[in-house]
Formats: sequence, structure tokens, C-alpha cells
Amino acid sequence: MGLITERTPIPQIQPVKFILNWGRRYSLWVMNFGLACCAIEFIAASTAKNDFIRLGVIPTAHGPRQADLLVVAGTLTDKMAPALKRVYEQMPDPKYVISFGSCSNCGGPYWDSYSVTKGVDQIVPIDVYVPGCPPRPEALLHGILELQRKIKDEDIQEKFGAVTQPAVS
Amino acid sequence: MPSPSQLSPDDVASRLRARFGDDVSDVADQHGHAVATVTRERYHDVCRFVRDEPEFACDYADFTSAVDLGEERGFEVLTHLFSTAHHHNVRVRVAVPRDDAVLASVSDLWATCDWHERETAEMFGIRFEGHPMPVKLLLSEPFEGHPMRKDFSLMTREAKPWPGAVEGEEDEEA
Repeated sequence: MGLITERTPIPQIQPVKFILNWGRRYSLWVMNFGLACCAIEFIAASTAKNDFIRLGVIPTAHGPRQADLLVVAGTLTDKMAPALKRVYEQMPDPKYVISFGSCSNCGGPYWDSYSVTKGVDQIVPIDVYVPGCPPRPEALLHGILELQRKIKDEDIQEKFGAVTQPAVS
Repeated sequence: MPSPSQLSPDDVASRLRARFGDDVSDVADQHGHAVATVTRERYHDVCRFVRDEPEFACDYADFTSAVDLGEERGFEVLTHLFSTAHHHNVRVRVAVPRDDAVLASVSDLWATCDWHERETAEMFGIRFEGHPMPVKLLLSEPFEGHPMRKDFSLMTREAKPWPGAVEGEEDEEA
């Protein structure tokens, strides 16, 4: 968004900031980076019984380029890690990442494995960690609410720093 | 389903002994599967024999893998074969020494063994001679070492030792 500039004061005006953050947190197009059994819990969280769509999380992003939220659900291996990095980099700002399950949090049961990345936070920055092996769909709902609480208080200029753009003459 | 032409482990033993003599040192019966221990030199010949001999007709290779038996006993490579015509299972077992970990490739007999041998090669450091593409299959290219070897050190365990019981040491306290 072109609003993230030093020269535009609009996001700093309190009602505008509120509306922008309100819009952002209730329209989270999500990309499911499903790597193991946790991906099934993610799918369960999207279906009728738990239904995270009522929280404004939309699980029909066509790809990372259309997504705002990345949920890393499962065991990330060192060989897969470059692919995750690439998916993350393809997402447009502002973007958020939820680390879902013990494996992506810290390696989980594969803490001493030769091939598993011990913590997705080594690869991409994480906003919310959801513990469990695998976490129940309710845990993901709670993680989403936590993320939305975080987005509510977010200052986008503070997050990205003062992005200086060339002066238009 | 047992087939009328199915070979029992005893049948497999007598037929392999008749053909290969002492090069087949032992044929065990493991849950109805014949497990033939063969010498390293005749491994490829035995495999070719059980594939081409009409009585065996082992046209389906299930897997090739290995076991690390420690410093002295070296590796044991296993190739599990199955006959879709006769419904019998034959496992060919061959000892491979640790300091000279080389074995003939059977990927020319069964295409299945191509990938299985590549995996066994990277995991145990066994070289399969005559393999058409001896490169890593699952591990990333810069990976060093052979993780399925017993002496492979896990970096995380160097920092934090295994908190539970170690195999073989459970009974000492009891």
C-alpha cells in the first residue's frame, strides 16, 4: 500500500489507522503451508464446526501472492526451508505468519533429527506461535484471535520503519 | 493368498543351494519369507537368478535397504523381492564390511532399486557399483555425513543429551 510512506500522514490519523487495522484483521487471506498432520487440523479449523471464516480468515487464496497470512503447519525440513522462504517472500506486505504446532515452533518430537529445521522462526519471522502436537482447531482459532489483537494495535509505519521515497517534483 | 506354485522357504533354500552352493550361506524362514544370506561377490548373480528362473519369477522388487550392525559386523544390505505370479517373498541379505562399503547395483534388474539404492547410499555411505546415477536422492546437496550410520553424531544431542533411557542401558538400574 502506498500509505506506508514518510510523506503521507494518513495512517497516523487515529480514526484512519483504526479503520485500516480493522480492515486488515478481518480480511486475512490465508495460505496453508501444510507439511504434516497439523495441516489436517488447519483444514478442520476451516470447516463448519470450527469455521475460522467467521473470524474473517479466508482459506481460498490462490497462492502466496494473494495471501496476507501464512500458516506453517507441520514439520519443516532443511530441504524444504528454501521453499518456505520463497513463499514468504512472494507474499505482499503487510504479511503475518502463524507457526502452528510443535514441529514448526521448535522441531517438536524431531528435536534431535538430522533433517528437521528446529524452529521455523529461523527462516521467517513469526507473529503467533500455537503450541500442541498437533494443536486442536480451537487452538488455531485462539492463535488467530491473538494475531487479530496484535494487528489491532499495529502501527504500520513503525513496523516498516520510515520508508523514504524519492521526492516527486 | 497362497498360490499352488508358491515356493516355501525350504524350497528356496534347496534351489539356491543347488545353484550357488556355499555362496548361499544360510536361508532362514522369517514369517514365511525366505531370507537368503549370500556372499557379496554373488549378490548380483543371485538376484538375477531369482528374477529370471521361472520357478522363482521374482518380478517385483519391494525395497533395498541396509542395517548398521556396529563397528565390527559392518552393514547388512537387504533386498526384498516378491513374485506376482507365485506370491512368494524372497529377501536377499548380504554383509558389507564397513571399511570397504561397496556392493554391486541391481538397478539394472529392477528399476525400483534405482532410487532405493540411492537412498541407501546416502544414508549409510555404501557405494553401489554400476548404478546409473549415483547422486543423493533425499538429502540436500550440501549435507555431510551418512545419518543412518550409528556413529553419525546428531548436533542437537551434542548440546543436549537424550533425556530418556538409552537402548541397552535400561536394565542396568533394575
